[in-house]
Amino acid sequence: MRRSRRDIALPYAMVAPLLVFIGALALYPTVLTAYGAFVHNDALDPPNHFTGFGNFQSVFSNPQVRQSLENTGLYVVFGVLLSVGLGTFFALLLQRRFRGRGIILALMVLPWALPGVVEGVIWSWIYDPTFGVLNSTLKSVGVISQYQLWVGTHQIESIFFISLVQVWQITPLAAILVLASMQAIPGELYEAASVDGARGWTLIRRLTLPLVRPALAIAVVEGLVMSLNIFDQVYVLNAGATNASSLMTETYQIAFNDLNFGQGYALSLLATVTTIVLSLLAVRFIYRKVEF
Amino acid sequence: MRRSKFGWLRGVGIVVLLLWSLFPVYWALNTSLMTNAEAQSSTPHFFPTHFQFSNYEAIFGIGPSSASTAGGIGRAVVNSSIESLGATLLTVVIAVVGAYAFARLRFRFRGPLFYVVLATLTLPVYATLIPIYEILTHLGLVNTYLGIILVYTSGFLPLAMWIMYNMFQALPVSIEEAATIDGASTLQTFRSIVLPLVRPGMAATAIITFLFGWGQFIFPLVLGSTNSTEPLTVALSALAGRHVVPYTMINAAAIVAIAIPAVIVFCLNRWIVDGIVAGSVK
Repeated sequence: MRRSRRDIALPYAMVAPLLVFIGALALYPTVLTAYGAFVHNDALDPPNHFTGFGNFQSVFSNPQVRQSLENTGLYVVFGVLLSVGLGTFFALLLQRRFRGRGIILALMVLPWALPGVVEGVIWSWIYDPTFGVLNSTLKSVGVISQYQLWVGTHQIESIFFISLVQVWQITPLAAILVLASMQAIPGELYEAASVDGARGWTLIRRLTLPLVRPALAIAVVEGLVMSLNIFDQVYVLNAGATNASSLMTETYQIAFNDLNFGQGYALSLLATVTTIVLSLLAVRFIYRKVEF
Repeated sequence: MRRSKFGWLRGVGIVVLLLWSLFPVYWALNTSLMTNAEAQSSTPHFFPTHFQFSNYEAIFGIGPSSASTAGGIGRAVVNSSIESLGATLLTVVIAVVGAYAFARLRFRFRGPLFYVVLATLTLPVYATLIPIYEILTHLGLVNTYLGIILVYTSGFLPLAMWIMYNMFQALPVSIEEAATIDGASTLQTFRSIVLPLVRPGMAATAIITFLFGWGQFIFPLVLGSTNSTEPLTVALSALAGRHVVPYTMINAAAIVAIAIPAVIVFCLNRWIVDGIVAGSVK
Protein backbone atom coordinates (compact mmCIF):
# COMPACT_ATOMS: atom_id res chain seq x y z
CA MET A 1 0.00 0.00 0.00
CA ARG A 2 1.30 3.43 -0.90
CA ARG A 3 1.62 5.81 1.98
CA SER A 4 0.45 9.33 1.32
CA ARG A 5 2.71 12.27 2.07
CA ARG A 6 0.48 13.10 5.02
CA ASP A 7 1.03 9.68 6.56
CA ILE A 8 4.78 10.01 6.22
CA ALA A 9 4.79 13.46 7.82
CA LEU A 10 2.45 12.54 10.68
CA PRO A 11 4.97 10.85 13.04
CA TYR A 12 7.35 13.80 12.73
CA ALA A 13 4.54 16.22 13.47
CA MET A 14 3.65 14.18 16.54
CA VAL A 15 7.15 14.14 18.04
CA ALA A 16 8.05 17.68 16.96
CA PRO A 17 6.73 19.57 20.03
CA LEU A 18 8.52 17.12 22.33
CA LEU A 19 11.78 17.51 20.43
CA VAL A 20 11.53 21.30 20.27
CA PHE A 21 11.07 21.55 24.04
CA ILE A 22 13.83 19.12 24.86
CA GLY A 23 16.14 20.62 22.28
CA ALA A 24 15.61 24.21 23.36
CA LEU A 25 15.38 23.84 27.13
CA ALA A 26 17.37 20.67 27.93
CA LEU A 27 19.97 19.86 25.28
CA TYR A 28 20.89 23.40 24.22
CA PRO A 29 21.32 24.55 27.85
CA THR A 30 23.45 21.49 28.57
CA VAL A 31 25.73 22.41 25.67
CA LEU A 32 25.90 25.97 27.01
CA THR A 33 26.90 24.60 30.43
CA ALA A 34 29.64 22.47 28.91
CA TYR A 35 30.92 25.46 26.96
CA GLY A 36 30.48 28.00 29.76
CA ALA A 37 32.64 25.93 32.10
CA PHE A 38 35.67 26.99 30.06
CA VAL A 39 34.83 30.67 29.77
CA HIS A 40 35.68 33.36 32.28
CA ASN A 41 32.27 34.89 33.03
CA ASP A 42 32.16 37.03 36.15
CA ALA A 43 29.68 39.89 36.39
CA LEU A 44 32.05 41.71 38.74
CA ASP A 45 35.11 41.22 36.50
CA PRO A 46 34.22 41.59 32.78
CA PRO A 47 34.81 40.94 29.94
CA ASN A 48 34.23 37.25 29.21
CA HIS A 49 37.07 35.31 27.66
CA PHE A 50 38.15 31.72 27.11
CA THR A 51 40.07 30.49 30.14
CA GLY A 52 40.67 26.78 29.61
CA PHE A 53 40.57 25.05 32.96
CA GLY A 54 40.79 28.34 34.83
CA ASN A 55 37.31 28.06 36.33
CA PHE A 56 38.03 24.55 37.55
CA GLN A 57 41.29 25.68 39.15
CA SER A 58 39.47 28.50 40.91
CA VAL A 59 36.67 26.35 42.27
CA PHE A 60 38.99 23.61 43.46
CA SER A 61 41.16 26.08 45.31
CA ASN A 62 38.08 27.47 47.04
CA PRO A 63 37.84 25.84 50.51
CA GLN A 64 34.06 26.30 50.59
CA VAL A 65 33.69 24.33 47.38
CA ARG A 66 35.91 21.58 48.75
CA GLN A 67 33.82 21.50 51.90
CA SER A 68 30.63 21.21 49.83
CA LEU A 69 32.11 18.33 47.80
CA GLU A 70 32.90 16.45 50.99
CA ASN A 71 29.44 17.25 52.37
CA THR A 72 27.75 16.03 49.21
CA GLY A 73 29.61 12.74 49.53
CA LEU A 74 28.09 12.38 53.00
CA TYR A 75 24.63 13.36 51.73
CA VAL A 76 24.91 10.60 49.13
CA VAL A 77 26.05 7.96 51.63
CA PHE A 78 23.31 8.80 54.16
CA GLY A 79 20.67 9.37 51.49
CA VAL A 80 21.21 6.14 49.57
CA LEU A 81 21.74 3.82 52.55
CA LEU A 82 18.86 5.14 54.62
CA SER A 83 16.29 5.53 51.84
CA VAL A 84 16.96 2.12 50.29
CA GLY A 85 17.24 0.39 53.67
CA LEU A 86 14.09 1.93 55.08
CA GLY A 87 12.23 1.57 51.77
CA THR A 88 13.05 -2.15 51.64
CA PHE A 89 11.92 -2.54 55.26
CA PHE A 90 8.59 -0.85 54.46
CA ALA A 91 8.15 -2.98 51.34
CA LEU A 92 8.70 -6.14 53.41
CA LEU A 93 6.09 -4.97 55.90
CA LEU A 94 3.56 -4.44 53.12
CA GLN A 95 4.47 -7.47 51.02
CA ARG A 96 1.61 -9.69 52.18
CA ARG A 97 -2.01 -8.69 51.77
CA PHE A 98 -3.81 -7.68 54.93
CA ARG A 99 -6.77 -5.55 55.83
CA GLY A 100 -5.95 -1.84 55.66
CA ARG A 101 -2.83 -2.29 53.52
CA GLY A 102 -4.13 0.03 50.81
CA ILE A 103 -4.66 2.85 53.31
CA ILE A 104 -1.23 2.36 54.86
CA LEU A 105 0.34 2.48 51.39
CA ALA A 106 -1.48 5.76 50.67
CA LEU A 107 -0.31 7.25 53.96
CA MET A 108 3.24 6.07 53.31
CA VAL A 109 3.35 7.87 49.93
CA LEU A 110 2.48 11.26 51.47
CA PRO A 111 6.04 12.53 52.18
CA TRP A 112 7.04 11.77 48.59
CA ALA A 113 4.30 14.06 47.28
CA LEU A 114 5.28 17.09 49.38
CA PRO A 115 7.57 19.91 48.26
CA GLY A 116 11.13 19.61 49.59
CA VAL A 117 11.00 23.17 50.89
CA VAL A 118 7.88 22.48 52.93
CA GLU A 119 9.55 19.42 54.41
CA GLY A 120 12.60 21.48 55.30
CA VAL A 121 10.35 24.00 57.04
CA ILE A 122 8.32 21.53 59.10
CA TRP A 123 11.38 19.52 60.13
CA SER A 124 13.31 22.64 61.08
CA TRP A 125 10.53 23.29 63.62
CA ILE A 126 10.86 19.71 64.89
CA TYR A 127 14.65 20.20 65.20
CA ASP A 128 14.30 23.68 66.75
CA PRO A 129 17.02 24.14 69.43
CA THR A 130 14.76 26.00 71.90
CA PHE A 131 11.19 24.80 71.27
CA GLY A 132 11.56 21.71 69.05
CA VAL A 133 9.62 18.58 69.82
CA LEU A 134 12.70 16.40 69.22
CA ASN A 135 14.53 18.14 72.05
CA SER A 136 11.58 18.28 74.44
CA THR A 137 10.64 14.65 73.85
CA LEU A 138 14.18 13.28 74.12
CA LYS A 139 14.79 15.31 77.26
CA SER A 140 11.60 14.23 78.97
CA VAL A 141 12.46 10.59 78.21
CA GLY A 142 15.97 11.18 79.50
CA VAL A 143 17.94 10.42 76.33
CA ILE A 144 19.56 13.89 76.36
CA SER A 145 20.31 15.98 79.42
CA GLN A 146 20.14 19.34 77.64
CA TYR A 147 18.69 20.71 74.41
CA GLN A 148 20.81 20.12 71.29
CA LEU A 149 21.48 22.23 68.22
CA TRP A 150 20.87 19.35 65.79
CA VAL A 151 21.71 21.34 62.68
CA GLY A 152 24.46 23.92 62.80
CA THR A 153 27.33 23.05 65.11
CA HIS A 154 28.78 19.72 64.14
CA GLN A 155 29.34 19.02 60.42
CA ILE A 156 28.43 15.33 60.22
CA GLU A 157 25.54 15.70 62.65
CA SER A 158 24.11 18.62 60.65
CA ILE A 159 24.38 16.67 57.42
CA PHE A 160 22.79 13.62 58.97
CA PHE A 161 19.77 15.55 60.21
CA ILE A 162 19.32 17.46 56.94
CA SER A 163 19.73 14.23 54.98
CA LEU A 164 17.08 12.60 57.15
CA VAL A 165 14.55 15.12 55.83
CA GLN A 166 15.35 14.14 52.26
CA VAL A 167 15.27 10.46 53.22
CA TRP A 168 11.79 11.10 54.56
CA GLN A 169 10.85 12.38 51.11
CA ILE A 170 12.40 9.68 48.91
CA THR A 171 11.88 6.54 51.02
CA PRO A 172 8.32 6.00 49.68
CA LEU A 173 9.70 5.90 46.15
CA ALA A 174 12.18 3.15 47.08
CA ALA A 175 9.45 1.29 48.97
CA ILE A 176 7.04 1.38 46.03
CA LEU A 177 9.67 0.21 43.54
CA VAL A 178 10.76 -2.68 45.76
CA LEU A 179 7.19 -3.59 46.70
CA ALA A 180 6.08 -3.72 43.04
CA SER A 181 9.00 -6.01 42.33
CA MET A 182 8.19 -8.26 45.32
CA GLN A 183 4.64 -8.67 44.12
CA ALA A 184 5.88 -9.97 40.79
CA ILE A 185 7.59 -12.91 42.54
CA PRO A 186 5.53 -16.07 41.89
CA GLY A 187 3.94 -17.48 45.03
CA GLU A 188 5.13 -21.01 44.21
CA LEU A 189 8.70 -19.93 44.95
CA TYR A 190 7.70 -19.12 48.51
CA GLU A 191 5.77 -22.36 48.84
CA ALA A 192 8.74 -24.36 47.59
CA ALA A 193 11.10 -22.52 49.92
CA SER A 194 8.88 -23.02 52.96
CA VAL A 195 8.54 -26.73 52.15
CA ASP A 196 12.33 -26.78 52.27
CA GLY A 197 12.10 -25.31 55.75
CA ALA A 198 13.10 -21.70 55.00
CA ARG A 199 11.53 -19.20 57.42
CA GLY A 200 11.52 -15.52 58.28
CA TRP A 201 14.84 -13.83 57.84
CA THR A 202 16.37 -16.69 55.82
CA LEU A 203 13.50 -16.49 53.37
CA ILE A 204 13.96 -12.74 52.98
CA ARG A 205 17.72 -12.92 52.60
CA ARG A 206 17.94 -15.95 50.32
CA LEU A 207 14.83 -15.56 48.22
CA THR A 208 13.16 -12.14 48.32
CA LEU A 209 16.15 -9.78 48.27
CA PRO A 210 18.03 -11.50 45.40
CA LEU A 211 14.85 -11.49 43.31
CA VAL A 212 14.14 -7.78 43.81
CA ARG A 213 17.69 -6.81 42.96
CA PRO A 214 16.77 -4.84 39.81
CA ALA A 215 14.28 -2.76 41.80
CA LEU A 216 16.91 -2.17 44.47
CA ALA A 217 19.25 -0.98 41.72
CA ILE A 218 16.70 1.54 40.51
CA ALA A 219 16.06 2.69 44.08
CA VAL A 220 19.82 3.16 44.59
CA VAL A 221 20.09 5.24 41.41
CA GLU A 222 17.09 7.37 42.37
CA GLY A 223 18.54 7.95 45.84
CA LEU A 224 21.92 8.75 44.33
CA VAL A 225 20.58 11.32 41.90
CA MET A 226 18.35 12.94 44.52
CA SER A 227 21.08 13.19 47.16
CA LEU A 228 23.73 14.41 44.72
CA ASN A 229 21.29 17.18 43.81
CA ILE A 230 20.10 17.97 47.33
CA PHE A 231 19.19 21.65 47.50
CA ASP A 232 15.76 22.53 48.99
CA GLN A 233 16.29 20.91 52.39
CA VAL A 234 19.79 22.34 52.73
CA TYR A 235 18.66 25.78 51.61
CA VAL A 236 15.98 25.88 54.31
CA LEU A 237 17.71 24.06 57.18
CA ASN A 238 21.24 25.30 56.71
CA ALA A 239 20.34 28.90 55.93
CA GLY A 240 23.33 31.11 56.50
CA ALA A 241 25.73 28.46 57.72
CA THR A 242 28.20 26.76 55.42
CA ASN A 243 29.21 23.66 57.30
CA ALA A 244 26.47 21.54 55.73
CA SER A 245 26.43 23.19 52.29
CA SER A 246 25.85 20.87 49.35
CA LEU A 247 27.33 21.05 45.87
CA MET A 248 24.02 22.44 44.62
CA THR A 249 23.72 25.18 47.27
CA GLU A 250 27.35 26.10 46.67
CA THR A 251 26.75 26.31 42.91
CA TYR A 252 23.70 28.49 43.52
CA GLN A 253 25.75 30.67 45.84
CA ILE A 254 28.58 31.14 43.34
CA ALA A 255 26.34 31.71 40.32
CA PHE A 256 23.47 33.75 41.74
CA ASN A 257 24.95 35.47 44.80
CA ASP A 258 28.56 36.00 43.73
CA LEU A 259 27.40 36.31 40.08
CA ASN A 260 30.33 34.25 38.86
CA PHE A 261 28.63 32.26 36.11
CA GLY A 262 31.91 30.82 34.78
CA GLN A 263 32.68 29.05 38.06
CA GLY A 264 29.01 28.14 38.42
CA TYR A 265 29.17 26.46 35.03
CA ALA A 266 32.35 24.60 35.96
CA LEU A 267 30.72 23.18 39.10
CA SER A 268 27.54 22.38 37.17
CA LEU A 269 29.43 20.49 34.51
CA LEU A 270 31.34 18.57 37.15
CA ALA A 271 28.12 17.66 38.96
CA THR A 272 26.34 16.68 35.76
CA VAL A 273 29.11 14.36 34.66
CA THR A 274 29.38 12.87 38.16
CA THR A 275 25.63 12.24 38.32
CA ILE A 276 25.56 10.48 34.97
CA VAL A 277 28.70 8.41 35.55
CA LEU A 278 27.68 7.29 39.04
CA SER A 279 24.16 6.39 37.83
CA LEU A 280 25.56 4.28 35.02
CA LEU A 281 28.04 2.57 37.38
CA ALA A 282 25.31 1.83 39.92
CA VAL A 283 23.12 0.31 37.23
CA ARG A 284 26.03 -1.76 35.93
CA PHE A 285 27.12 -3.12 39.28
CA ILE A 286 23.83 -3.75 40.98
CA TYR A 287 21.44 -4.40 38.14
CA ARG A 288 21.30 -7.95 36.97
CA LYS A 289 18.31 -9.29 35.16
CA VAL A 290 16.41 -11.82 37.24
CA GLU A 291 14.72 -14.80 35.62
CA PHE A 292 11.96 -16.62 37.48
CA MET B 1 -1.86 -17.92 54.53
CA ARG B 2 -0.64 -19.10 57.92
CA ARG B 3 -0.04 -16.51 60.59
CA SER B 4 3.65 -16.50 61.44
CA LYS B 5 5.15 -15.68 64.79
CA PHE B 6 6.38 -12.52 63.09
CA GLY B 7 2.84 -11.13 63.17
CA TRP B 8 3.41 -8.87 66.15
CA LEU B 9 6.77 -7.79 64.76
CA ARG B 10 5.07 -6.59 61.63
CA GLY B 11 2.52 -4.76 63.74
CA VAL B 12 5.30 -2.87 65.48
CA GLY B 13 6.90 -2.19 62.09
CA ILE B 14 3.69 -0.72 60.74
CA VAL B 15 3.33 1.58 63.74
CA VAL B 16 6.90 2.78 63.07
CA LEU B 17 6.04 3.28 59.38
CA LEU B 18 2.96 5.34 60.20
CA LEU B 19 4.67 7.46 62.85
CA TRP B 20 7.57 8.15 60.52
CA SER B 21 5.35 9.04 57.56
CA LEU B 22 2.74 11.11 59.35
CA PHE B 23 4.18 12.61 62.53
CA PRO B 24 6.02 15.56 60.89
CA VAL B 25 2.86 16.60 59.04
CA TYR B 26 0.73 16.09 62.14
CA TRP B 27 3.15 18.16 64.16
CA ALA B 28 2.96 21.04 61.67
CA LEU B 29 -0.84 20.87 61.71
CA ASN B 30 -0.86 20.77 65.51
CA THR B 31 1.47 23.76 65.76
CA SER B 32 -0.50 25.74 63.18
CA LEU B 33 -3.60 25.53 65.41
CA MET B 34 -1.79 26.66 68.57
CA THR B 35 -1.12 30.05 70.03
CA ASN B 36 2.49 31.11 70.02
CA ALA B 37 2.73 30.75 73.80
CA GLU B 38 1.50 27.19 73.68
CA ALA B 39 3.87 26.24 70.85
CA GLN B 40 6.79 27.50 72.93
CA SER B 41 5.96 25.68 76.16
CA SER B 42 8.71 23.46 77.54
CA THR B 43 6.62 20.29 77.61
CA PRO B 44 5.39 19.22 74.20
CA HIS B 45 1.64 19.64 73.65
CA PHE B 46 0.54 16.86 71.35
CA PHE B 47 -2.91 18.43 70.94
CA PRO B 48 -3.72 22.15 70.75
CA THR B 49 -5.59 23.22 73.91
CA HIS B 50 -7.07 26.38 72.39
CA PHE B 51 -8.02 25.22 68.93
CA GLN B 52 -7.88 28.43 66.85
CA PHE B 53 -7.34 29.56 63.27
CA SER B 54 -5.74 32.95 63.80
CA ASN B 55 -2.48 31.77 62.20
CA TYR B 56 -4.29 30.93 58.98
CA GLU B 57 -6.15 34.22 59.06
CA ALA B 58 -2.86 36.03 59.52
CA ILE B 59 -1.05 34.46 56.56
CA PHE B 60 -3.98 35.16 54.27
CA GLY B 61 -4.12 38.73 55.48
CA ILE B 62 -7.45 38.43 57.32
CA GLY B 63 -8.07 39.72 60.84
CA PRO B 64 -6.09 41.82 63.29
CA SER B 65 -2.75 39.98 63.35
CA SER B 66 -2.31 40.21 59.57
CA ALA B 67 0.59 42.61 59.89
CA SER B 68 3.30 42.95 57.30
CA THR B 69 5.08 39.99 58.88
CA ALA B 70 3.12 37.49 56.82
CA GLY B 71 0.55 37.77 54.06
CA GLY B 72 1.12 37.17 50.38
CA ILE B 73 0.39 33.47 50.81
CA GLY B 74 -2.91 33.78 48.96
CA ARG B 75 -1.19 35.17 45.89
CA ALA B 76 1.44 32.44 46.13
CA VAL B 77 -1.24 29.74 46.16
CA VAL B 78 -2.72 31.23 42.97
CA ASN B 79 0.73 31.40 41.36
CA SER B 80 1.57 27.81 42.29
CA SER B 81 -1.74 26.62 40.90
CA ILE B 82 -1.40 28.47 37.59
CA GLU B 83 2.16 27.30 37.08
CA SER B 84 1.59 23.67 38.06
CA LEU B 85 -1.66 23.30 36.13
CA GLY B 86 -0.27 25.05 33.05
CA ALA B 87 2.80 22.85 33.01
CA THR B 88 0.72 19.71 33.62
CA LEU B 89 -1.63 20.41 30.72
CA LEU B 90 1.18 21.20 28.30
CA THR B 91 3.31 18.26 29.45
CA VAL B 92 0.56 15.66 29.22
CA VAL B 93 -0.62 16.71 25.76
CA ILE B 94 2.87 16.85 24.27
CA ALA B 95 4.03 13.66 26.00
CA VAL B 96 1.00 11.58 25.01
CA VAL B 97 1.18 12.56 21.35
CA GLY B 98 4.95 12.10 21.17
CA ALA B 99 4.98 8.84 23.14
CA TYR B 100 2.37 7.32 20.84
CA ALA B 101 4.45 8.11 17.77
CA PHE B 102 7.53 6.58 19.40
CA ALA B 103 5.64 3.52 20.62
CA ARG B 104 3.62 2.68 17.53
CA LEU B 105 4.54 4.55 14.34
CA ARG B 106 7.46 3.86 12.07
CA PHE B 107 9.61 6.68 10.84
CA ARG B 108 13.22 7.43 10.04
CA PHE B 109 15.47 8.28 13.01
CA ARG B 110 12.83 6.98 15.42
CA GLY B 111 15.41 5.03 17.48
CA PRO B 112 18.03 7.77 17.81
CA LEU B 113 15.44 10.47 18.55
CA PHE B 114 13.83 8.26 21.19
CA TYR B 115 17.15 7.70 22.94
CA VAL B 116 17.94 11.40 22.86
CA VAL B 117 14.68 12.12 24.66
CA LEU B 118 15.31 9.34 27.18
CA ALA B 119 18.87 10.46 27.75
CA THR B 120 17.60 13.81 29.00
CA LEU B 121 15.95 11.90 31.87
CA THR B 122 19.41 11.53 33.38
CA LEU B 123 20.21 15.24 33.22
CA PRO B 124 20.35 16.77 36.70
CA VAL B 125 19.17 20.30 37.50
CA TYR B 126 22.77 21.51 37.37
CA ALA B 127 23.02 20.86 33.64
CA THR B 128 20.43 23.45 32.71
CA LEU B 129 19.95 25.89 35.60
CA ILE B 130 22.26 28.78 34.71
CA PRO B 131 21.71 28.63 30.91
CA ILE B 132 17.93 28.55 31.36
CA TYR B 133 18.21 31.66 33.48
CA GLU B 134 20.28 33.31 30.75
CA ILE B 135 17.96 32.17 27.95
CA LEU B 136 14.83 33.38 29.75
CA THR B 137 16.45 36.68 30.63
CA HIS B 138 17.36 37.08 26.98
CA LEU B 139 13.76 36.34 25.90
CA GLY B 140 12.29 38.65 28.53
CA LEU B 141 10.48 35.73 30.18
CA VAL B 142 11.87 36.16 33.70
CA ASN B 143 9.06 36.95 36.16
CA THR B 144 6.38 35.59 33.85
CA TYR B 145 4.06 32.61 34.18
CA LEU B 146 4.86 31.61 30.60
CA GLY B 147 8.59 31.40 31.33
CA ILE B 148 8.08 29.21 34.38
CA ILE B 149 5.55 26.97 32.62
CA LEU B 150 7.89 26.43 29.66
CA VAL B 151 10.79 25.54 31.96
CA TYR B 152 8.70 23.12 34.04
CA THR B 153 7.33 21.49 30.91
CA SER B 154 10.75 20.87 29.42
CA GLY B 155 11.88 19.36 32.71
CA PHE B 156 8.87 17.05 33.17
CA LEU B 157 8.50 15.92 29.53
CA PRO B 158 11.10 13.14 29.46
CA LEU B 159 9.57 11.30 32.44
CA ALA B 160 6.00 11.91 31.23
CA MET B 161 6.92 10.61 27.77
CA TRP B 162 8.54 7.54 29.33
CA ILE B 163 5.52 6.75 31.51
CA MET B 164 3.15 7.13 28.54
CA TYR B 165 5.46 5.12 26.28
CA ASN B 166 5.29 2.21 28.74
CA MET B 167 1.51 2.56 28.97
CA PHE B 168 1.19 2.36 25.16
CA GLN B 169 3.59 -0.59 25.05
CA ALA B 170 1.34 -2.44 27.49
CA LEU B 171 -1.64 -2.21 25.10
CA PRO B 172 -2.16 -5.11 22.70
CA VAL B 173 -1.40 -4.02 19.11
CA SER B 174 -4.26 -6.13 17.75
CA ILE B 175 -6.91 -3.52 18.67
CA GLU B 176 -5.19 -0.88 16.56
CA GLU B 177 -4.59 -3.35 13.72
CA ALA B 178 -8.28 -4.18 13.63
CA ALA B 179 -9.14 -0.49 13.43
CA THR B 180 -6.67 0.04 10.59
CA ILE B 181 -8.11 -2.90 8.65
CA ASP B 182 -11.55 -1.35 9.09
CA GLY B 183 -10.21 1.69 7.27
CA ALA B 184 -9.50 4.06 10.16
CA SER B 185 -6.60 6.45 9.63
CA THR B 186 -3.71 6.61 12.08
CA LEU B 187 -5.07 9.77 13.66
CA GLN B 188 -8.58 8.35 13.95
CA THR B 189 -7.26 5.20 15.59
CA PHE B 190 -5.17 7.25 18.00
CA ARG B 191 -7.98 9.57 18.93
CA SER B 192 -10.98 7.30 19.21
CA ILE B 193 -9.47 3.89 20.04
CA VAL B 194 -6.15 4.34 21.80
CA LEU B 195 -6.65 7.49 23.86
CA PRO B 196 -9.70 6.21 25.78
CA LEU B 197 -7.73 3.06 26.65
CA VAL B 198 -4.79 4.95 28.18
CA ARG B 199 -6.88 7.38 30.19
CA PRO B 200 -5.66 5.89 33.50
CA GLY B 201 -2.08 6.30 32.30
CA MET B 202 -2.74 9.91 31.37
CA ALA B 203 -4.24 10.50 34.80
CA ALA B 204 -1.16 9.01 36.47
CA THR B 205 1.14 11.17 34.33
CA ALA B 206 -0.90 14.29 35.03
CA ILE B 207 -0.95 13.70 38.79
CA ILE B 208 2.77 13.08 39.04
CA THR B 209 3.53 16.08 36.82
CA PHE B 210 1.29 18.31 38.91
CA LEU B 211 2.96 17.21 42.14
CA PHE B 212 6.40 17.90 40.65
CA GLY B 213 5.20 21.34 39.57
CA TRP B 214 3.77 22.08 43.02
CA GLY B 215 7.10 21.19 44.64
CA GLN B 216 9.44 23.14 42.34
CA PHE B 217 11.79 25.45 44.17
CA ILE B 218 15.15 26.27 42.64
CA PHE B 219 13.90 27.27 39.18
CA PRO B 220 11.24 29.72 40.41
CA LEU B 221 13.71 30.96 43.02
CA VAL B 222 16.10 31.88 40.24
CA LEU B 223 13.55 32.88 37.59
CA GLY B 224 11.48 35.29 39.65
CA SER B 225 12.73 38.33 41.46
CA THR B 226 9.35 39.77 42.40
CA ASN B 227 6.41 38.08 44.11
CA SER B 228 4.21 38.41 41.01
CA THR B 229 5.07 34.85 39.94
CA GLU B 230 6.46 33.53 43.21
CA PRO B 231 5.04 30.06 44.00
CA LEU B 232 4.19 28.84 47.48
CA THR B 233 7.54 27.09 47.95
CA VAL B 234 9.51 30.30 47.41
CA ALA B 235 7.08 32.36 49.48
CA LEU B 236 7.28 29.83 52.32
CA SER B 237 11.06 29.76 52.39
CA ALA B 238 11.11 33.57 52.42
CA LEU B 239 8.63 33.56 55.29
CA ALA B 240 10.71 31.03 57.24
CA GLY B 241 13.87 33.00 56.52
CA ARG B 242 12.47 36.15 58.12
CA HIS B 243 13.14 35.46 61.77
CA VAL B 244 10.38 37.69 63.07
CA VAL B 245 7.57 35.47 61.80
CA PRO B 246 6.29 33.16 64.55
CA TYR B 247 6.62 29.46 63.95
CA THR B 248 2.90 28.91 64.40
CA MET B 249 2.29 31.08 61.32
CA ILE B 250 5.05 29.44 59.31
CA ASN B 251 3.55 26.04 60.06
CA ALA B 252 0.13 27.29 58.96
CA ALA B 253 1.64 28.31 55.63
CA ALA B 254 3.35 24.91 55.38
CA ILE B 255 0.00 23.18 55.97
CA VAL B 256 -1.50 25.24 53.14
CA ALA B 257 1.28 23.97 50.88
CA ILE B 258 0.74 20.40 52.12
CA ALA B 259 -3.05 20.38 51.77
CA ILE B 260 -3.31 19.98 48.00
CA PRO B 261 -0.69 17.21 47.60
CA ALA B 262 -2.20 15.45 50.63
CA VAL B 263 -5.70 15.44 49.13
CA ILE B 264 -4.28 14.19 45.82
CA VAL B 265 -2.34 11.40 47.52
CA PHE B 266 -5.33 10.17 49.53
CA CYS B 267 -7.86 10.36 46.70
CA LEU B 268 -5.75 9.33 43.73
CA ASN B 269 -3.23 7.02 45.36
CA ARG B 270 -3.72 4.06 43.04
CA TRP B 271 -2.70 6.09 39.99
CA ILE B 272 0.36 7.52 41.65
CA VAL B 273 1.71 4.10 42.49
CA ASP B 274 0.98 2.87 38.95
CA GLY B 275 2.68 5.92 37.45
CA ILE B 276 5.78 5.54 39.60
CA VAL B 277 6.09 1.88 38.63
CA ALA B 278 5.50 2.62 34.93
CA GLY B 279 8.11 5.36 35.05
CA SER B 280 10.78 3.05 36.39
CA VAL B 281 10.57 -0.24 34.50
CA LYS B 282 13.68 -1.51 32.68
